[in-house]
Amino acid sequence: MDTRNRPNNLRPRERGATSIQILVILVPVLFGLIGFAVDLGRLYMIRGELKTAASGMALAAAQRLIGTDQGMVDASTAAKVPIDTSTGFGNKYDFGGLAIGQTTGSLSSSAPDPSFYDTLQDAQAGSGASGGSTARYAQVTLTADAPLTFWRFLPLASSGKVSVQAGAVAGISAPLCTVCGIEPYALAAFDQSDTADFGFVQGTIYTLGYSCTGVPAPSGLPYSGGATALVPYLLLDRLNPNDVAFPDENSQSFRGGAAGMPGVNPANGFLTNSGQPVACFNINNSTPEVVWANALPTLCRNTVASPVSSALCGMDTRFEANPSSTFSTVCSGIASVSTLEPVYSPDSDVAEEVAYASYSGNGRRLITISIVDALNPTGGMTVLGFRQFLLEPNTNQTTLTPPDIDGRFLAMYVGSVAPVKQGNFGSCGVAAGPGKVVLHD
Amino acid sequence: MTDTFASRKSRGSAAIEAAIFLPVLILLLMGTLEIARITYTYYTLHKMMYALARYVSTQQGANLCDTADPAVVAAKSFALNGTTDNSGTAILSDLTADMISIRLEQVDAASGAINECACAVPGCDTSNGGLPPDYIVVSLPNGYSVTPHIPLIPTNPIALRPQVRLPYGGT
Repeated sequence: MDTRNRPNNLRPRERGATSIQILVILVPVLFGLIGFAVDLGRLYMIRGELKTAASGMALAAAQRLIGTDQGMVDASTAAKVPIDTSTGFGNKYDFGGLAIGQTTGSLSSSAPDPSFYDTLQDAQAGSGASGGSTARYAQVTLTADAPLTFWRFLPLASSGKVSVQAGAVAGISAPLCTVCGIEPYALAAFDQSDTADFGFVQGTIYTLGYSCTGVPAPSGLPYSGGATALVPYLLLDRLNPNDVAFPDENSQSFRGGAAGMPGVNPANGFLTNSGQPVACFNINNSTPEVVWANALPTLCRNTVASPVSSALCGMDTRFEANPSSTFSTVCSGIASVSTLEPVYSPDSDVAEEVAYASYSGNGRRLITISIVDALNPTGGMTVLGFRQFLLEPNTNQTTLTPPDIDGRFLAMYVGSVAPVKQGNFGSCGVAAGPGKVVLHD
Repeated sequence: MTDTFASRKSRGSAAIEAAIFLPVLILLLMGTLEIARITYTYYTLHKMMYALARYVSTQQGANLCDTADPAVVAAKSFALNGTTDNSGTAILSDLTADMISIRLEQVDAASGAINECACAVPGCDTSNGGLPPDYIVVSLPNGYSVTPHIPLIPTNPIALRPQVRLPYGGT
C-alpha cells in the first residue's frame, strides 16, 4: 500500500523501532523453533542412549535369574555393570559424556535396581513385582536430566533441563527347540507322557551313573538325607574332528563337562554324522543322536571309558580349581589338561544343597541335559527335551569323584529354571523347557 | 517533500538493522542445522554400535579375538550397511570396519571388578580353549570425524566417540 497518500499521523515514522519490537517477539519464537532442531533432537538421542543402557542392564540381570534367592542379588549386581564407567568404558548419555546413575553438576540421573517379575505380563505392566526365587524377568527404568540449550530461555523450561526416561524388559524366552552350549549327556525319560518333568521329581537328588551292562548293577550314592536312586546316562557324541586346538577326545569331553560344549566357528564345527553344529542339540532331531564313539557302555562295576571320566574331571572344575592334582590317576592324563584347568573357576557355593532355592552359587553347578526317548548305545536316540540338574558334591565332600568306576555323580533335578546360553526356536511343540534370555521390551 | 524523506530515512535504518540481524540469523540457522546434523550422526553411530554389539553377542562360536572371523565381519557389515554380506549401501560414508573396536571384558567373580579379557588362555581366546567374555564394549577409539560447516567461522572437526557395553550372551 502506498504510504505517501496516508494522513501524516498514520505514517509509520519509526519503522526501525517496529522491527526491533518484532525481533523481541520473534526471538522466543525463533528459540522455540531452533529448540525443536537442537534440543528435541538431543532429547531423542539421550532417550536412545538410555534405552541402550537399560537394555544392557536388563539383559545382564536376566542372565543371572537362575531360580535361587541368590540369583536376584547377583542380578542386581550384574545390572550395574553396563553403566559402570570406572574403567573409562561403559554406557553413558548425552553424547557419551555423562555417567548414568550419577549426578554431574546440576544434572542428576538415577539407575535404581531392576524390578523382578515372575511373568512377562507383570513385567510389562510393572505390577506384582516378585521378591522370590521365582523371578524370571528383569525390568529396568533409567531416568536422567537432559540439558537444554535453546528451550531454557522459554518460561516452560527455565530450569535448563528436562527429565528423560527409558526402560527395558528382558527375561526368559519361550522353550527352545535347539539349545547350544550344554553338557553332552543324555538321560532316558522316566515317563514320556509327563511333558513337564518326564517323570523326574523336582528337588530330588539322583545318582547319575554311566549306562552299563551285566550284573551286579551299581548302586546309587548316598547323600546326607539318605539313599538315592540310580539313573543311567550316556555321553552323546560331540567329538569335533576338525578341532585344531584340542584334537584329543578326552580334552573335548573335559571341556564339555567343564562348561558345556563350547561354541565352534560354524566353518569347522560340524558333527560328522549329522552336519549340525557341535555345540547344539535339537528336539525331535532328524538325525538320531548317537553315543560318543569311544564311550560305549562297559560291564558294570568295571572302569568306564576314558571320555566319561574325562567329562567328570571337567565337571569337577565346578567344585575345585585343579582336579588333576586331586585325582591324578584319572584327570592328569588328559591331553592339554594343564592348559584347560586354569580356564574354569569353581562355583562360589560347593556345599551340598537339599533345597535348590538356598543354593547360593553363581550357576556354575547347573548342568543342562538332553532327555531322550530311551538310552540306546548301539542305535539312534531322539531328544524329547532338555532339563537341568544341580550338581551335588560327593557324599561328605566338596568335590565330585571322577575316578568312580561307574562314572557316578549326584545331581538334583531342578526342572528348567535357568536360561541357557544360546539356542533357537522352532516348531517342536514343547510347552516346557529351558529358554534363553531375550529382550521383551 | 518531507514525508518522502522521512520514509526513506526509516527505510534506510531498517536496511541497516536487516544488515546487522540477517547474518546473525543466518549463522544461527546454519549453526542449528549443523548441530542437528551432528546429533543425528552421533545417534546413527550409537545405533550402529548397539546393533553390532547385539548381533555379535548372540552368535554361535564367534571368535572375537580374530577381526577376520566370519561372525565379526558379518556383524561389522551389518552395522555399517544393514546387510551381513557387505552388499548394502553404507549408512555413513567414511566409516570403515577397521575403525570399530570390540573390547572384551570379564567380571572378576571375587572383587566384582571389570577387567579387560586378554586374547589368551586363560582368557577370552575362545579358539584355543578360552571362555567367552562376560561383556563387550563396542566403540570407535579414534572417533568418527564430523566438521561443522558454518560460513565465515572456521571450525575444527569434531570426533564422535559413541560406545556401547552389552552383556555377551552367545556361546
